[in-house]
Amino acid sequence: MNREPILQVKDLKTYFYTEDGIVKAVDGVSFELYQGETLGIVGESGSGKSVTSLTIMRLLDEKARIEGGEVIFKGKELLKLSEEEMRKIRGNDIAMIFQEPMVALNPVYTIGDQIMEAIILHQKVKESEARKIAIDLLRKVGIPEPEKRVDQYPHQLSGGMRQRAMIAMALSCRPQILIADEPTTALDVTIQAQILELMKELQREYGMALIMITHDMGVIAETADRVAVMYAGKVVEYGTVDEIFKKPKHPYTYALLSSIPRLDVEKQELKSIPGTVPDPLNFPPGCRFHPRCDFAKEECKNIDPELVEVSPGHYTACPFYKVLEGVEVK
Amino acid sequence: MEKKAVIKIDNLVKHFPIRAGVFKRIVGWVKAVDGVSFEVYEGETLGLVGESGCGKTTVGMTLLRLYEPTSGRIIFNDEDTTHYFMNYLKARSYVKRTYIDRFEQLKIDKGAKALDELEGVDRKYYKIFMENGAAGLHKYLLSNLEEKRKQFRQNVQIVFQDPYSSLDPRMRIKNIVAEGVLAHKLVEKSKINDFVGKTLEDVGIISAYMFRFPHEFSGGQRQRIGMARALAMQPKVVIADEAVAALDVSIRSQIINLMEELQDKHRLTYIFISHDLAVVKHISDRVAVMYLGKMVEMASKKELFEDPLHPYTVSLMSAIPIPDPAKKRKKRIILKGDVPSPINPPSGCRFHTRCPVAKPICKEKEPPLVEVKPGHFVACHFPGSLKWKA
Repeated sequence: MNREPILQVKDLKTYFYTEDGIVKAVDGVSFELYQGETLGIVGESGSGKSVTSLTIMRLLDEKARIEGGEVIFKGKELLKLSEEEMRKIRGNDIAMIFQEPMVALNPVYTIGDQIMEAIILHQKVKESEARKIAIDLLRKVGIPEPEKRVDQYPHQLSGGMRQRAMIAMALSCRPQILIADEPTTALDVTIQAQILELMKELQREYGMALIMITHDMGVIAETADRVAVMYAGKVVEYGTVDEIFKKPKHPYTYALLSSIPRLDVEKQELKSIPGTVPDPLNFPPGCRFHPRCDFAKEECKNIDPELVEVSPGHYTACPFYKVLEGVEVK
Repeated sequence: MEKKAVIKIDNLVKHFPIRAGVFKRIVGWVKAVDGVSFEVYEGETLGLVGESGCGKTTVGMTLLRLYEPTSGRIIFNDEDTTHYFMNYLKARSYVKRTYIDRFEQLKIDKGAKALDELEGVDRKYYKIFMENGAAGLHKYLLSNLEEKRKQFRQNVQIVFQDPYSSLDPRMRIKNIVAEGVLAHKLVEKSKINDFVGKTLEDVGIISAYMFRFPHEFSGGQRQRIGMARALAMQPKVVIADEAVAALDVSIRSQIINLMEELQDKHRLTYIFISHDLAVVKHISDRVAVMYLGKMVEMASKKELFEDPLHPYTVSLMSAIPIPDPAKKRKKRIILKGDVPSPINPPSGCRFHTRCPVAKPICKEKEPPLVEVKPGHFVACHFPGSLKWKA
């Protein structure tokens, strides 16, 4: 495989300065994305997975400040680009789709207008040409009667159709990277299966790299090649999907996998992770997972563990990961 | 041992009117629930599963009488409760229509022998009818409605999906939990603090927190408080409507485990409404699958997951991503299109527009829900014709 990453994120830090204090939403996140692969970012609410993607796209509001780190896309440092230069990349080279298609789409413009906007902006084609491209795209993402749909407004489409339209919009400029932030969370399972299938097909066809952000371990197992598990603003484990699911090396990943009910395995009792997701204004000192960790030791309160490579391509931020050796994921 | 049905839903229908124009004329009906029947046995968990718009929440709300049913019967603890929440005239006409007219005819046709062919409440009420006449049954069903309403409300409680909007932000936790208890005079006012404290401890909330407000708690804790509010009434049945859907994975398993623990401790019966088949599989004893206002399949959990017979159930199972990368290569059944609108549901079998194995008859004739194996009901002309295994 070609091992030159298309996107490199190094020690990214994004803090929000709120009236109540500093929210360290992303606090030292690093990962790499290779051509054509899917990187899954999984975490619970407040883990910083969405803020990470918004930072890459530089779509943050004024309360947020990027405190450090680098985002390197094909040798270019995105965080240093001017807004003008960034605009050329955004939507063109790196595109994004969001969880709520109803919120992300503009209700007062037709689907066609919204797809054409990016095409006209980035590809310098005439409106009639752009319209043709838009109709082709709608057909490609499986929207029936695209000639009719192109002139419809978002509210005239069902949830699944809207998400398809969003994907069409994101693909309009053949991006090299697609960031999908919980693309199927708001959809019913049968529609989710349709959308995931569509995304896989399109990824193959376009040779795109995909960042799939989700809280659903099932979606990760289904789509990702490599996985970054996030907790409280940090990546706690990072590795191939098989390693993460079969041999998790961080107690959080292990607990997460053990706490989900499964269709294919009968579980007598679900493991539960005690306590609650920590308050981002007030993360616990030391390892941020230690108050909820089954294996926590006294030292965990004091050390801020680094992400360390423990086997080729498999990183964990738990210095005591060996306690999980031989422990089956229940 | 014969299992006792606590709740029996008999051909429940709930249609919502669509109004339009200056005079708010009714221009159509949303057929949210369109003839659903099931029983819930004492101490069990019945999982009610389906996609958005299938009517699972409406079933729950109608059962609780937060919606008035369009037709059908809701039987609780061997009593028909359907007319409890109607005004007196409507209730009277319901009783006359449902029982008295029918019994008069039966009496003429068959007399006492009719008792043998009746079951459940029909049998019970016919007996009263034979012994005390129409006036006797009338009195039995229509007296003390206020008292009966109260008892029903106490016995059937609900936990909602959204722990943020289901707790009044201006009330202290103590008052949220105590409100119903005091209204029903289940506990003396002087002992209410102890009682609330104990109930809160039961669901894993420190009793000293009872003077706090909802915003001081996390989502998982609020859902625990929602459980405490239901539990405080000492109900027989708790309806959990997507009670864990809004929670994070790590918190969700806490609440599921808590619900199971409380069920054992208080001998509760759950109706667990959810779109998440994996969660339903974990918590339920029996599972009912709904599609577009109809029940398509119902069976014990083991039976349903080992031998799903309705193509919709099979497709639903196949659509769920399994958290095991080794199993992802398996081809799924991808259903075409969206769920049709419940305003104009498809003719015949409502699933035929998306069914991978539909035949011409499916378009014309609606399949009834039949028991194909003991305890396994399915509404399909060709049960078992679609196969898929994880």
